Amino acid sequence: MRNLIAFFQRFRIFLYFSLLQVISLSLYFSYIAYPKGQFLTSSWAVTGTLLSWQNNFTKFIHLDETNEALQQENVRLRKLQLINFMRVSTDLIKIKDTVYRQQYEYIPGSIINSSITRKNNYFTLNIGTTQGLEVGMGVFSDKGIVGVIHMTSKNFSLVKTILTENSNVDVLIQPSGLTGYLKWNGKDPMRGSVLGISQDIKLVKNSTVVTRGGSGIFPRGIPIGKVEKLLPVEGKPVWDVIIKFSEDYRSLQHVYVVKNLLMDEQKKLENGIPKEVKK
Amino acid sequence: MEIIVKPLIQFFGLLLLQVFILNAIEPGMGIYLMAYPLLIAILPFNYKVVTVLSISFLIGFMVDLFSNTFGLHASAAVTMGMARPLLYKYFAPRDGYDVLRQPNVLDMGLRWHLLTFGSLLFIHHIWFFLLESFRWDNIASALIKTLLSGSLSLIICLIIQYLFFKKEKTR
Repeated sequence: MRNLIAFFQRFRIFLYFSLLQVISLSLYFSYIAYPKGQFLTSSWAVTGTLLSWQNNFTKFIHLDETNEALQQENVRLRKLQLINFMRVSTDLIKIKDTVYRQQYEYIPGSIINSSITRKNNYFTLNIGTTQGLEVGMGVFSDKGIVGVIHMTSKNFSLVKTILTENSNVDVLIQPSGLTGYLKWNGKDPMRGSVLGISQDIKLVKNSTVVTRGGSGIFPRGIPIGKVEKLLPVEGKPVWDVIIKFSEDYRSLQHVYVVKNLLMDEQKKLENGIPKEVKK
Repeated sequence: MEIIVKPLIQFFGLLLLQVFILNAIEPGMGIYLMAYPLLIAILPFNYKVVTVLSISFLIGFMVDLFSNTFGLHASAAVTMGMARPLLYKYFAPRDGYDVLRQPNVLDMGLRWHLLTFGSLLFIHHIWFFLLESFRWDNIASALIKTLLSGSLSLIICLIIQYLFFKKEKTR
């Protein structure tokens, strides 16, 4: 017993050091892997409020670009309005459309804290559960996808962006219709790569990469980027397709969060897939 | 009065600088500017190691709260707090430290400061970037990040000290 006490006295500094390291490292690795609760993040009420004050000062830096982007999006959407269409045939009148049903709704929000040079980049949004956000919802901007909601608090939320190691978004390469999944190499915030495309398929440079909409997180067809070049993967018969993102994440401010109204239905159905087949 | 207020101003000043200004500056090449390690380095000489470790953890934790890094800064700061007494002992002057002096560049001279704070900053940065990449094949890029960010952080910390710190009156 006395030896034990002597041991603790001798190494108490090192033990204290190890304790602090264990606390911080277990926080780090558990939160990188999966969100458990809402503890050490900037979606925390206090830090979130402070960060939104900061954003109130700094958002003016990119105001011109942001306005221009929003205006362009408005123009694009305005073109789709019914008022701009001339009626070609007089006998077809749209009264109440039951063929289409709303599947996706969008919640607007702004990014108040972001990083793009880290190994795993997270954005903080100024909207939270009060606005109807849930963990796992998709986030995109008018030019491209951004990521998936990782954690939420009452008024703030944290987005795990596609600039992280394991984003794994289902993508579709058009016009060939090939499917793969998105990866990021952890270095260049302008480029990502698409894996899972077999080498016997020829890909055209500059074909657009869009979301597949398979998992119900994103609607089909939200742009991601353009194919830049093909690199072979060592030891596997697949391409590492390098794509250039269509969104510039360095100056991104306004985003939309996707709310899939039919998510539960799809989840329920897909839970029926036998587990051993999934492996 | 001054003995309580001055460290608090330093603490919050550097923390706010780190969180709201340096975190927002991202010059590319994976460079990350960090000024908060200076807070750990300038703690008084007569503090016990346990106190230094606790303060380091607190500082790192505060930075983590604002940067979505979940304990990465806390871990690096604690490592730096552990290395601090060892390095200060190694680079101690022949007749020990004057307790009235502060371990900053103005009180202790540029050479001593570059040796101790430079090594501490290197330890802090390499721990941070290695832990962040956490893969053997990324060691080269982590080293490049450490060297680039470390030298820039050192310059920023020197500028801060020359601009805002005062030389302690020697009695």
